[in-house]
Amino acid sequence: MFRRIFLFDEDSLNSSVTSYTNASQSTTTIMDYSLKSSDTQGSSSGIFTDHPGLNPCSERIVELQYDIRLKLGALMPKESAQKVLEASEALHGESNNIAFLEYLLEDLQQNGVGGEAYKDAVDLSKDLVSSPLEQFEIISLIPMKIGNLYFSFTNPSLFMLLTLSLVLLLVYFVTKKGGGNSVPNAWQSLVELIYDFVLNPVNEQIGGLSGNVKQKFSPRISVTFTFSLFCNPQGMIPYSFTVTSHFLITLGLSFSIFIGITIVGFQKNGLHFLSFLLPAGVPLPLAPFLVLLELIPYCFRALSSGIRLFANMMAGHSSVKILSGFAWTMLCMNDLLYFIGDLGPLFIVLALTGLELGVAISQAHVSTILICIYLNDAINLHQSASFFIIEQKRV
Amino acid sequence: MLEGAKSMGAGAATIASAGAAIGIGNVLSSSIHSVARNPSLAKQLFGYAILGFALTEAIASFAPMMAFLISFVFQVR
Repeated sequence: MFRRIFLFDEDSLNSSVTSYTNASQSTTTIMDYSLKSSDTQGSSSGIFTDHPGLNPCSERIVELQYDIRLKLGALMPKESAQKVLEASEALHGESNNIAFLEYLLEDLQQNGVGGEAYKDAVDLSKDLVSSPLEQFEIISLIPMKIGNLYFSFTNPSLFMLLTLSLVLLLVYFVTKKGGGNSVPNAWQSLVELIYDFVLNPVNEQIGGLSGNVKQKFSPRISVTFTFSLFCNPQGMIPYSFTVTSHFLITLGLSFSIFIGITIVGFQKNGLHFLSFLLPAGVPLPLAPFLVLLELIPYCFRALSSGIRLFANMMAGHSSVKILSGFAWTMLCMNDLLYFIGDLGPLFIVLALTGLELGVAISQAHVSTILICIYLNDAINLHQSASFFIIEQKRV
Repeated sequence: MLEGAKSMGAGAATIASAGAAIGIGNVLSSSIHSVARNPSLAKQLFGYAILGFALTEAIASFAPMMAFLISFVFQVR
């Protein structure tokens, strides 16, 4: 897959720089645009039959572009009109070079389907980014197949590997030569901050009634936290990939944690864990309904914590992409008014990027806290309820 | 026809933002109330408020997610 470099002539290059002083050139681009928009509505005659006497140079260009589109339409009869338009626009692009356009047209006429221009048109229109969700596409970088199983090394695996290496590198740099300076430098205090950030909620949430600390779950929670802490902001780098914007990965994470928490609950409390489903002091006839009512939210925890992370990442990244698309289109319209108005979307994109960075970090925090709360439920069961019962017994 | 229905569905999905707005407003108002009653807890309450914002915002992002899924993933044939 290669991007093709269009043959721009010097006139068109100058026009983009000095478009506001050069009146004839700026009308060219505006006319180009209006023609495109009229094309999408289905009018096929072109704007120049209605408006004679415009710039003859641009008229020739538009004629050539129109011819290319017709020729492409004849060459691919099975495709819809929209597809043909996309392909032809991808082929001639924004080029103002008449010689280049003539070359394309000639190639289409002489070589037809076998020609280079046709192949380029098909490739480029396939390559055209049309949807904001295309940034989440999974591409296999190193294809691997074992039997019927598909074990390819894809871009999510690449970025997960990147996350892992980032974390390990950070920890390695800090603990190099024994590490642990009593006066930490910047890196060490960063790692200590991340470590403390997990340790405190674990202490607070899973401590239980007696306040004795259950630190044995801390490493597992710490891994989950660092994984999403590094994966989420990594997706904010342009042209990178957000690992946590996929169902598969977040749901895999949350389901495995959910199953683990359930197992821990049974291990700790035995069959008594089932009392989790029934609040204390409930009249017996109500019990079947209440068990059902408690069971559904309990099972939904697995789904909700995965989907929360996924939805945040996907919606945020797509909205950034859509708004930056607005800004880019306005910038490319070559009109002073749009150029000034462009500042609006641009600043919104800037603010949204800041918000997304905040969301990326706070989502890691939220998922960690929620895991702690769920784990606390499993280990200590109905803590306040049991506390209440103890109080009653004492009286 | 189907294309129009798709757009309407995507637009209707954003109505859910109203609920998110109420939720975020509620979090902020409660946080201000609590700080006004006990200013010495301001720092601790700010942490809880941020947590509440994140949780509300997470649910709020279901609305744009549905809108994007409807308008870009479902193909009309």
